[in-house]
Amino acid sequence: MDEQSSYKTTNMEGTSTTEQGRSTTTTSNVKVANRKTVSCSDFILRILALATTLIAVIVMAVGKETKTVPVPIFPNLPPINVDAPAKWQYLSAFVFFMVVNIIACIYAAISLILSIGNRFGSKVLDLTVIILDLIMVALLFSGNGAAAAVGVLGYKGNSHTQWKKVCNVFGGFCRHATASIALSLIGSLMFILLLVLATSRLHKRSH
Amino acid sequence: MSSVVDKPLKESVAKTDTESQISTTTTTKTSKSKCFLVSLSLRVLLFASTLAAVIVMLTSKQTEIVFWPFFTKNAAVRSAKYSHSPAFIYFVSALWIVCGYSILSTLNTLFCGKRCASNKFLISLVLSDVLMLGILASATGTAGGVAYIGLKGNSHVGWIKICGVYHKFCRHIGASLALSLFASILLVILIMLTTVQNRC
Repeated sequence: MDEQSSYKTTNMEGTSTTEQGRSTTTTSNVKVANRKTVSCSDFILRILALATTLIAVIVMAVGKETKTVPVPIFPNLPPINVDAPAKWQYLSAFVFFMVVNIIACIYAAISLILSIGNRFGSKVLDLTVIILDLIMVALLFSGNGAAAAVGVLGYKGNSHTQWKKVCNVFGGFCRHATASIALSLIGSLMFILLLVLATSRLHKRSH
Repeated sequence: MSSVVDKPLKESVAKTDTESQISTTTTTKTSKSKCFLVSLSLRVLLFASTLAAVIVMLTSKQTEIVFWPFFTKNAAVRSAKYSHSPAFIYFVSALWIVCGYSILSTLNTLFCGKRCASNKFLISLVLSDVLMLGILASATGTAGGVAYIGLKGNSHVGWIKICGVYHKFCRHIGASLALSLFASILLVILIMLTTVQNRC
């Protein structure tokens, strides 16, 4: 996709600039084409990051499940059936995960507007966006780690601390959480790719 | 880093005035050495903090006499180790990786010589830093998530807190988490510095 768009832009630039003159256009032609493809892929990556984090938030928020669980209170008496709901608000790691994802989602929307508005290539704005991207990468990765750790704990349990697994009861909730974590991981990879792109562009332009 | 020096050098060569040439070279030299020293000391600090975090985590084993499970009177000797939880194993291995990387990158910035000038060197440095930041941040999040459950427990799922029994283990984990959080903030500052460096 990117290569095609780069060819297109070069072609368009070439046709438009041949009318004006050939001696000065050859270098500027290449530069403009590069910047356009970079901003195009930047745009696509930001939209992907926005979409994945938004879907991750929605999937996690939807995954509420209620099951009747037999709870043995005394060993001699028969167990009592209790309705036990599973929500993301119950686990602090999932709350952190959701908050981080919502922040990343809002930031992706804001940075999308900024990158559209930044046509003139303001360097200060560029640097600010890079630094905020960096902070988003750190936050998203730590949120993913926290949610995944609690997810593994719920999936496998821990015999040393007597933490029982809950995914045999709340299967739907666990599936929702897994999908949400995977989506959020894709979103954080998008932010890393954005960072890679921005860094290479910054070094190229300053030289 | 020395690409910063190259540009003003070329500009100053273009100028015929010798005084302005001397002044520009001295200012860029001082700023370059400042940047260099700050990034080098940050990398050494990164190494120290990750190594300390690993050592604190490895020495966190605690053995206690516990009445387990509850409602029984059987006393049992049980120990708490970091290797009992896969999250902490991931945490320690990620810390080892970042510790080794910090040594390599310190040596790299010390002995880069002429390669410092190339853009490829700086870009690869930033990229590997970002990768390490991802690993370290996710490891900190993982260990923090499990440690918070150990500290507070969770009544909804029925996971009881263990920090009421294993005080020393929990203190070690908290210290190690704080150190690794500090290390990840150091990495963020390092990446910012390397990104801005080309124009400072």
